[in-house]
Amino acid sequence: MARDMKHIDVEEIKDLGWDELIPGAALFSFKEPVEDVVEVPMEERPYAPTNSHEWQVGDWRVEKPVFNRDLCIDCQFCWVFCPDISILSRDKKMIGVIYEHCKGCGICVEVCPTNPKSLLMFPEHMDNEEALKQWPQKEEKKKD
Amino acid sequence: MAKRMELNEVEVWDGNMAAAQALRQADVDIVAAYPITPSTPIVQNYSKFLADGYVDGDFIMVESEHSAMSGCVAASAAGVRAATATSSQGFALMVEVLYQASGMRLPIVLTVVNRALAAPLNVNGDHSDMYLGRDAGWINLCSYNPQEAYDLTLMAFRIGEDLRVRLPVMVHQDGFLCSHTAQNVRPLQDEEAREFVGEFKPVNSMLDVANPVTHGVQTEEDWHFEHKARQHHDLMNSVPVIKEVFAEFKERTGREYDLVYKYKMDDADVAIVALGTTVESARVAADRMREQGIKAGVVSFRVLRPFPFNEIVEALGDVKAIAAMDRSAPGGTFGMLFNEISAALMAKGKHPVVLNYIYGLGGRDTTIQMLEEVYKQLDECAKAGEAKYPLQQFIGLRGPKLSFY
Amino acid sequence: MLEIRWHSRAGQGAVTGAKGLADVVANTGKYVQAFAFYGSAKRGAAMTAYNRVDDKPILNHEKFMRPDYVLVIDPGLTYTADITANEKEDTKYIITTHLSKEELIKSQPKLEGKEVYVVDCMQISLDTIGRAIPNTPMLGALMKVSGMFDLEYFQNAMRKVLSKFPQKIIDANMKAIERAYNEVR
Repeated sequence: MARDMKHIDVEEIKDLGWDELIPGAALFSFKEPVEDVVEVPMEERPYAPTNSHEWQVGDWRVEKPVFNRDLCIDCQFCWVFCPDISILSRDKKMIGVIYEHCKGCGICVEVCPTNPKSLLMFPEHMDNEEALKQWPQKEEKKKD
Repeated sequence: MAKRMELNEVEVWDGNMAAAQALRQADVDIVAAYPITPSTPIVQNYSKFLADGYVDGDFIMVESEHSAMSGCVAASAAGVRAATATSSQGFALMVEVLYQASGMRLPIVLTVVNRALAAPLNVNGDHSDMYLGRDAGWINLCSYNPQEAYDLTLMAFRIGEDLRVRLPVMVHQDGFLCSHTAQNVRPLQDEEAREFVGEFKPVNSMLDVANPVTHGVQTEEDWHFEHKARQHHDLMNSVPVIKEVFAEFKERTGREYDLVYKYKMDDADVAIVALGTTVESARVAADRMREQGIKAGVVSFRVLRPFPFNEIVEALGDVKAIAAMDRSAPGGTFGMLFNEISAALMAKGKHPVVLNYIYGLGGRDTTIQMLEEVYKQLDECAKAGEAKYPLQQFIGLRGPKLSFY
Repeated sequence: MLEIRWHSRAGQGAVTGAKGLADVVANTGKYVQAFAFYGSAKRGAAMTAYNRVDDKPILNHEKFMRPDYVLVIDPGLTYTADITANEKEDTKYIITTHLSKEELIKSQPKLEGKEVYVVDCMQISLDTIGRAIPNTPMLGALMKVSGMFDLEYFQNAMRKVLSKFPQKIIDANMKAIERAYNEVR
């Protein structure tokens, strides 16, 4: 019999046999129905174990993006481009990086349009406080 | 609400009209189609029924057969009843998506009007397309005349959509010999057919937005094998459901279907195994043989997949010689029927003479006389207790005799 | 089993004629088959259509046929098509022509000694329907020659078969059937 993939433990999934799988390899997002999902904040959603929210890639990182609130213009580019939905934003205000889901790809830094950038990559072991102290100055426009 | 169509007790329908009427009565929600000879009239008729208000659904005219099946996959995953029709080159173009449909466990119904595969280009009937798709993980039902094309199309929805099965189903009929041959068909009235087929039961519907679901996921060496095992298990275990549906259909109509079709096999010494309209022509030939004292019978597959392993061996009983008649170019080996029947017989410890006949390619006429010749050869083999003819012969072919082994 | 072969040009209605006949016959409780050879048929190309009628279910799906009746609905095909192919000793021919039977046989000697009937389906359909669709008049002629159904029964049955057409066209077809029934010689 197929197991109830909405309520199984994440850890149990890897031990499932062929006979316990959901026919057609369908993956569920939530354990319970969620009406009007856009109005429910991420941390309140009843994620099912097959939702990628339950599967973290933070330990893939060798460098991490650090966010500098003072420079950010809330353009949402990083939120749009992040491939792992690890940029936390509320009411169009950038809040920061969800490090559990960030694999350190650096795309958010690449697309950040401010000068200096509001997101920069720093070594994984460096404190964010320390990183903010090392933030570079505004770059002058190059003259031809 | 769709209008009711008043049908006569006996209609004269060709196989295409029969299949189209079954799609109409099954209240198919989405037909995504790209027409191709000889299956064109199925979707053409359906779209006319739709335009005339006889069905509540939608017809999506797409740009290729690949898209036609993709449209059906999307509609079925979204949670509605989907069906289409195709033949030959169109079927070939659909093949990639056939595997998607079965792997995603979507109970789509595909009415296949069997036609030769090019080159050379040919619009007439043979079983090349059926053979191409037989391992795509679909349930394969085979009809031999328009009545059966109608009956099996209705039953295909019940079988595929059963929650114990949830697999797509193909219903095969011969191009032109069935699809364009009008014969007596006894249809169910609309309300009887609707009651038999029942409401579509969506499973993990994509349109259920409060319960978001991902279909068509990627798995690698971690999970692919398990999903394929589950799929094969469920296909193999669809047999009891198929039998249940056949039994209920018999109760309603009196028309009997079984996994394997048998004609005069109780005392037969020799048997033809074939598919499509040839099964019925072989009955005519078998009767004539019996007038001449040769105990001839006919066996066929009603359900080609899942393969009725036990039932086919049982049906062939203790016949001494069998003709496996394959209507598809064998591509460098024996025909499929020869290979599969021989393997099943050997596995069950039976060793009759089995001869492989390749016939009727591209719609070449299969005459009763030709089938009588096959029986006569089988009779010689049966009496001698060994193959007196080459194991593979091309029959009805111009030029020098072509045979192997 | 009764077997009929039609010789026609694609577009002249042989398939419709064969299916119409099958419809009428099926209503009497008999079993029928109607089919045609298409190939990549273009309008005007010579083609053949077929009927089988029997008291028991028809299982024979071979295209090969020894016809009891050969119906030629295009006058030119008497000369260009192999209308006597696979004939039996008692095969009956109903041929569309403006010629008399004697003139026709003289112009196509291979019909000599055979049971031949002539009727000008082309002229009849032009006069009644207004177009060269010689299929329904041929059915009228077949009814007369074969005695399969009387005229009135057949006309009533054909009215049902043609019911999707406007009344004017149905009426014209009825006239065509009646004329051919009376004029076939």
